[in-house]
Amino acid sequence: MLGFLKSNILSKFVVAITGLILVGFIIGHTLGNLLIFAGPEALNTYAVGLKDLGPGLWVVRIVLIVAFILHIITTINLVRQNKKIATGYKVSNYKASTFSARFMGYAGLTVLFFVLYHLAHFTLGFVDASTFGMETTLENGRVVHDVYSMVVIGFRNVIVSLFYILAVSFLGLHLKHGIHSMFQTLGIHGKKFTPMIQKVSAIVAIIIVISLISIPISIMLGIVGGQV
Amino acid sequence: MNLKLHIWRQKNSKTKGAFEQYAVSDISEDMSFLEMLDVLNEDLIVGGKDPVAFDHDCREGICGSCSMTINGNPHGPEKATTACQLHMRKFNDGQEIYIEPFKNTAFPIIRDLVVDRSAFDRIIQSGGYISIKTGSAPDANDIAVPKAKSDVAMDAAACSGCGACVAACPNGAAMLFTSAKLKHLNVLPQGQAEKKKRTLAMVEQMDKEGFGSCTNHYECEAACPKSISVEFISEMNFEYAKARATAYRD
Repeated sequence: MLGFLKSNILSKFVVAITGLILVGFIIGHTLGNLLIFAGPEALNTYAVGLKDLGPGLWVVRIVLIVAFILHIITTINLVRQNKKIATGYKVSNYKASTFSARFMGYAGLTVLFFVLYHLAHFTLGFVDASTFGMETTLENGRVVHDVYSMVVIGFRNVIVSLFYILAVSFLGLHLKHGIHSMFQTLGIHGKKFTPMIQKVSAIVAIIIVISLISIPISIMLGIVGGQV
Repeated sequence: MNLKLHIWRQKNSKTKGAFEQYAVSDISEDMSFLEMLDVLNEDLIVGGKDPVAFDHDCREGICGSCSMTINGNPHGPEKATTACQLHMRKFNDGQEIYIEPFKNTAFPIIRDLVVDRSAFDRIIQSGGYISIKTGSAPDANDIAVPKAKSDVAMDAAACSGCGACVAACPNGAAMLFTSAKLKHLNVLPQGQAEKKKRTLAMVEQMDKEGFGSCTNHYECEAACPKSISVEFISEMNFEYAKARATAYRD
């Protein structure tokens, strides 16, 4: 099954396609998170709605986990090979390469550690079990997990928020180079299309970063979650 | 002009190399970079020392022999220019210049700045040709080639196989070279018949030589003396994946 690792181009296809899946997830996840600005009822209803998907949620989760793991192991394999062959110069001088392109690996690793921490914090409840156990009653009388309060209390911790902001900014750099690279790798290119998609990928990255970091910032400033 | 040069000296592929420092003086700004090295070598020979070995042939920017990395850029700082066509006026008096061979483990260093680029020859041998009966020259325009396609083929065929793309790539990938050679033949009617076989063979030979993989820095395109476009890499990716996906039919 991992035979594609022997081919550089097939490996790149795997990185691009799994990247596409992960970008889709990030966009969806960002939109969902922004419901925090609509108040506790909206966010908690959305959260319980996801859980109600039951097996459907697990299908999505498994696809994401597989994509995530393949994305990482394929990249590590490619980087290991590249490091072996390109031995570097005394003076390095770039004509075209961007910072985000050279920072891909470091940004990616930071995002990896962040995702593990983020799952431990908000999905598995290892970080703060007390907030993870909180419950609230929806307007329809249903008692559900109080995601809103968990997020608000979580982000009142300055260190947690700063780590989040840093990781999300790195994610933005990763996406800025990653999104347009996906198209190039999959063979979608053009004299007008390529510069356009490079701009689009920078804009998408900026929108995602601003949307996501607006949450901890609003919480720390007391704009969101004052009543918790 | 007076310059301070740091040049990579290495006896052969087995010994370890190191930088050595040289001072050259009274360099005319109208000289090419290679002529400046000629001046240095004359001084070295007169002084009873080993001259710096470097590759060169046409000195007209056509052959792509002059492989060297000048201050971190293969063929130097200028766009679409080979080292032989690079003039000393592009440098400042008193400047320090680091001259290194093309560094990539698939291009073993033979001596000083000379590297062995036979890995490229093996990629060409694996499929960079068309199989036809040779004989008397065919009539011109016997096979109709649309203008747009012949233009693309010419753009791709401009690749002289100098290796600057590999030398510039932070990943040591040979994808610009291989994709240009593939495109040059695949886009023409004469190359169509063996397109799939060629794509599979050349890409697989490229991997076998140990070259790295593209992460879209586009340093290759910026270093290429012929400004070969990275669009060809994108197309090669797609064509290779398509060839692999349909390989079961053959």
